Formats: sequence, structure tokens, C-alpha cells
Amino acid sequence: MQSNAALEYDYTVAKLFTYVTILFGFLGMLVGTILALQLAFPELNYLIGEYGTFSRLRPVHTNTVIFGFTVSGVFATWYYFAQRVLKVSMAESKFLMIMGKAHFWVYFIGALIATITLVFGISAGKEYAQYEWWIDIVIVIIWLMWGVNIFGMIGIRREKVLYVSIWYYLACFLGIAMLYLFNNASIPTYFMTDGLGSINHSVSMYSGTNDALVQWWYGHNAVAFGFTVPIVGMIYYFLPKESGQAIYSYKLSLLSFWGLMFVYLWAGSHHLLWSTVPDWMQTMGSAFSIVLILPSWGSAINMLLTMKGEWNQLAENPLIKFMVIASTFYMLSTIEGPIQAIKSVNAIAHFTDWIPGHVHDGVLGWVVFMTMAALFHMAPRMWKKEIYSKKLMGIQFWMQTTAVVLYFTSMWVAGITQGMMWRAVDEYGNLVYSFIDTVTVLHPYYVIRGISGVLYLAGFILFAYNMYKTITAGRKLTEEPQFRTPMA
Amino acid sequence: MTIHDIQGYGMFFLTILLTVLLYWYILYLYRSEKKGERNFEKYGRIALDDSIGTPPVEEKSASEEDRRTKEQN
Amino acid sequence: MFFHWLEKNPFYFALMVSIVISFAGLLEIVPNFASAARPLSTTTPRTVLELAGKNVYIKDNCIACHSQMIRPFKSETDRYGKYSLSGEYAYDRPFLWGSKRTGPDLHRVGNYRTTDWHENHMLNPPAIVPGSIMPAYKHQFTNVADIETAYAEAVTVKNAFFTPYGPEFKRTRKAWEAHRPKVLEDAKKIAADMKDEGVKKMIANGEVPEIVALIAYLNSLK
Repeated sequence: MQSNAALEYDYTVAKLFTYVTILFGFLGMLVGTILALQLAFPELNYLIGEYGTFSRLRPVHTNTVIFGFTVSGVFATWYYFAQRVLKVSMAESKFLMIMGKAHFWVYFIGALIATITLVFGISAGKEYAQYEWWIDIVIVIIWLMWGVNIFGMIGIRREKVLYVSIWYYLACFLGIAMLYLFNNASIPTYFMTDGLGSINHSVSMYSGTNDALVQWWYGHNAVAFGFTVPIVGMIYYFLPKESGQAIYSYKLSLLSFWGLMFVYLWAGSHHLLWSTVPDWMQTMGSAFSIVLILPSWGSAINMLLTMKGEWNQLAENPLIKFMVIASTFYMLSTIEGPIQAIKSVNAIAHFTDWIPGHVHDGVLGWVVFMTMAALFHMAPRMWKKEIYSKKLMGIQFWMQTTAVVLYFTSMWVAGITQGMMWRAVDEYGNLVYSFIDTVTVLHPYYVIRGISGVLYLAGFILFAYNMYKTITAGRKLTEEPQFRTPMA
Repeated sequence: MTIHDIQGYGMFFLTILLTVLLYWYILYLYRSEKKGERNFEKYGRIALDDSIGTPPVEEKSASEEDRRTKEQN
Repeated sequence: MFFHWLEKNPFYFALMVSIVISFAGLLEIVPNFASAARPLSTTTPRTVLELAGKNVYIKDNCIACHSQMIRPFKSETDRYGKYSLSGEYAYDRPFLWGSKRTGPDLHRVGNYRTTDWHENHMLNPPAIVPGSIMPAYKHQFTNVADIETAYAEAVTVKNAFFTPYGPEFKRTRKAWEAHRPKVLEDAKKIAADMKDEGVKKMIANGEVPEIVALIAYLNSLK
């Protein structure tokens, strides 16, 4: 390989995805903050007519943060670190380079169109799977284009062993592909008749209870393979690289990988406790949710132990701070989830605000923190510039951490309050509260959540600003830093 | 035999199989390292020494040549 | 060694991951398909107007705040009525159980709310339920519901999944034109209990406002 002395990693596609990660992150969180404020102050529902109601905007929020922010973050980090751990540059294959760029543009344009359809209420009606059938086809194409890059890069690699992060990204690719295809299987009504009605409309292949099972098998595991698996993959690369410490136990990372793969898929039915799905499935969902603590904590502890003997870095390097608190929030939400999956707890928690509370300590504390840390780590290496401001990063860290804590504490209280009020009976066994009583009582908590949303969004804007200034005005680096990210 | 019986047996045996596989894997990981056949922890270095100039922890083509020469012998 | 070989060959590795992750789905979900999809003897497929209403329910995403799943607890059956049974959902594509109750459950809302209640409530929720944080859905009074698509849906589920719709449900435009007056007739019956003049005028012109379809759907939830 002497002829490749001048060879460099090519970050063109990674850079493109970095831009849209920030763009979709901002949009998704902006809409999320508006939603939070709408629950506290319902007058805000009427800002843009029928398109601005809480109900219309909610899928815009969820889909933008999942398929916009998180997925493009996964793509951005993939196009960055895969080259490095496989020891092969994108520049070495013209085909992969063209596919990578095409992947980006199809994804970006597809995501914009998909978001617009949601605003107009073109929806298949399943949560986190609202996109209608033709958008699903585009999404499958986008996903396969990513697959081409994954297997292409692996095919031309120099490093024989696939680093554990690659395992996780591969599993993300396979898992999401399987789940998405099965859950979105539907029949377009236009083609089943002589062209009657709207071409957008389709009916689900499954009905009633079966549809619910497939949907939550998907819904739960989309969290697994979108919010857990690739993010674990991310931290297994970026934390060791940033801290200069190899993973505490490589063997443990492999074990928890297989554990996670096997156990996660069973737990989906914990979304359907006390519903009309068969009892044994509900029990299975509960039981496996508890078992799931093992592989999750296996990964989380492995991350924390990676810092063994190097805890001083926590004080010195804000990026380490981001990653360590991300794994801490990961531990919190992976213990909280199983608790909510216990049938008796679920009887109170289900349908209440504790559930969005749980989701958000996972996504805000774990997914977004880790993704931002990864992008901060990548920026100086991709643009060869020093991070613009360490101080801003510190401010952002505390703003967002405060926001997450406010979010989940207020929603814990709100959820348990509401759950208890729904079931409260007086001495004669009559219900004490009418439904509306259990809504008005939540107002203060909704206000707190609104504030936390504003804080978090502001922190994200600081992040975007810091990235922008790094790219445009950061001090030039003469050589690539090996471990710790340089910042001014 | 109804579909539920098949389901029950399938689950039982597959769970046992996968449990055995998992423990076998743990044993394999630790024993092959103890016997000195493999060193898994060195793969942790892949993330650290990842600039394009540094040699891979295990070269892909080199080890394939290894195997080929072994097969020839 | 088996595992060694697995780690180095990405193809077999991917295959192994696929097997491990599809295991749960195969054993947990697939077998249920045989038994859980059967309707109760009293469950009937929805009319075209109700289907159109269901599509309005999906379009305005009511599922974001309302569930359709009454759990078997006394506090729930006291509040919402009989607990839900699997067979009741046999014709629901997609299922609309929801996962969050920012507002109350709606699975049996047809038992205790009326057309005029819904009409007033959708225009201004806090006026009917003081303290309500639900937004008004005034646009449903002027938007036209897509009854043709609803008809196409009925024909599709009849042909693809043997949902028991009558012989008059055929895939041709002619069959639809023949069925259309029946839908307008149903809509007129709902609108008779409403006070909004615009709604009645639209139906007289052969168009069904979204609110009428939606109320027909909500009334059918029993």
C-alpha cells in the first residue's frame, strides 16, 4: 500500500449528513417545543389554521426527530467512522462515492416531501409509521442505498476484523429493514379498484389486534434499532477515540450485543399490557423487559468503565462530559422502561405523561447528547478546524442537562398524578374525578415541560451556532488530533 | 398437533438452543483468550489507531494469504 | 471455530443477526394471526360514511390524544363502559387503540355522546367542557370528506381480506356512482341533528363535510 501514501479519508458525504442532522434536529425540536407549549397554552393551536393543531403537528415532531435527526445522525457518523475503523477511504471507490452522494440527496429530498405530506394529514394512521405507501417505497430505497454503502465498504476493507461499532450499525440496518417492511405492509386502494378515490390512500395488511401486535413489535424495536443499537455503536467508537482509552472489555461489548439482539425483540408487547392481545404475550413482554436490563446495563457499564483511571477528563473535556452523561441517561431510561413494563405499574403508567417522560429522558439525554458529542468530535477532523468555543459548549451542556431533568421530573409527577386520579374512588366505590379534573391538574407540569423544551431548544441552537462558527471561523489545524478534540 | 403446540415446543427448544449458544460463546471468548489463541482486547485498538497510515490490527489480505499457504501445506 | 468464522464473514454475521432478531417475531406474532382476527358475531363492517369518518380521524390524528382501548379495570369500565374485546376490532385497518390519553377514551363514545354534542364540542371544546385543552376543529365544517376513497377502501378490504361487504360493492366507477346516494342519505340523517346551515347546504350539493363523516364514525363507536 505504499502507493497510497497521500490517501486520505473522504468526508464529503459525512459533511452533508452533518448539515441535515443539525437542520432536522432544530426543526424537530422546534415543533416539539411548540407542542409542549400547546398543551400548557391551548390558544397556540391556532397559529396556522388546520395545519397547526397539536394533533397534526405531533407526527411532524416524532417523524422529524426519528427519521430526520436521528437517522441522518446515524448516516453522518457512519460515513465518518466506518472509513476509519475499516481503514479504507471513500475516495478509493468511485461507485461508493457516487452512491453515497445519491443516498444523501434522495434522503434529503424524500425527507422534505414526507414531512410536507404529514402536515397535510396524508397519514396511514399508525404511530411512528404514518407515511403513506409511496413514501414507504422511497424510504426502502434510501435504506437499501445505505446498505450498498455498508456492504461495499466492508467488502473493500483493509482491517480484517469488524470493529464492534460496525456490528451495531449492521444490526441497525438489518433490524430497521425487517421491522419497517413488515409493519408498513399495506394495499393501495386506488389500484385495487378502477382508480377510485385518492392515490395516496392504503389499508393495512393486518387488522385490529394483529395490527396492534405488529405495530408495537415495530414501534418498540424501532426504538431498539434506531435509538439504542446505532447509538451504542456510536459511543463504542467515539468515547474510546475521544478519551484515548480502549473499550474496558471488548468481550463484554460482544456479549451484550448478542444479548440485546435476542432479548429486545420480545419486549414489544409491553406496549399492549391489559389490552386484548393474548395474556401470555403480555407476560412475555413484561418478563423480557426485565431481562433487557442485563444487556443494556452491560453496555452502559462497559462505557463508564472505559473511563476508569481517567475520570479527570470528565472535568477537563466537555465532550467526555456529554458522553458520560449520555450513558448515565441510558442507564436511567433502561431501568425505567422495565419498571413501567411491570403489569401493575403499567396499569397506572400507561396512557399517562409518564410515558412521554420516559421516552424523552432516553432521547434527549441519550440519543441527542451522544449525537451532538459525535458531531463535535467529527467537526475538527472533517473541516480541520478547532472547535470554536469550549465555553459555549459548557453552557450548552448545563442548559440541556437542566432541561432533561425538568422534563422527566415534571412528567413523572404528572403521569403518576393522572394515573392515580383516574382510578381514585370514594368510600362507596364511585369515581372521584371526572376526566377533565385530571387534565386541568396537569397545567403546572405542562408549563414546566414547556420551559424545559425552550431551554433544550436554546441549547441546541447554541450547538448549531458553535458548529457553524467552527466550520467558518475556527482556527486552522495543521494535523489531525489523535484523541482529544481541540477547542478554543 | 395444533399451531399452539408447535409454537410452544418451538419456543422451548429454541430458547434452550440459544441459551446454550450464548454460554458456549462466553466460554469460547474467555477460553480462547486464556489459551492464547486469540486476543480480543486488542481489537479495542481499532478505534484508537484509525488513521489511514497506521497498519490494521489484522490485515485482511495478509491473513487470507496465511490461510491459503496453510491449506497448501 | 464457529464463532471466529462468524465474526470475520460479514455475510454470515448478517444472516446470524437476522435469525436472532426474527426469532421473537416468528414465535410471538405470526401464530396469533390464525386466532385473533375473528370478529364477534355482532361486529359489522363500517359503512362508507363511517369509513370516511375514520379517515378524518386519522387525517386530523385524533389518536395523538385519544385511545380506543378500555382496559379491564373497574375504574375504566365505570368511566367508559364495557371493557374492549379483541373481536370488536376485527375490521379495523389500521387499529386505532392509541397510546396516550391526553383526552378520554373513545372506544364507546357513541353510547354517551350525541351528534349535537359533538357538533358544539368540535367548534369550541372549552365552551362545552370548561378547562379543556383540546383545540377546535372548525375546518372540518368546511373541508369535504373523501367518500370516494372510503368506498375504494371498502371494496379493497372486501376483495383482499373477505370483509363481508354486500354484493353491491364492486371495483367499478359505475358501482360507486350507484352507491353514492346511499352515502349522502346517511350524511343527511346525521346533519338533521346539527344546527350548522353550511353543512346542510354542502350535503344538498352532493358533498359530505368532514365533520358529518367524523360524527358518523364516532356515533358508530359503541
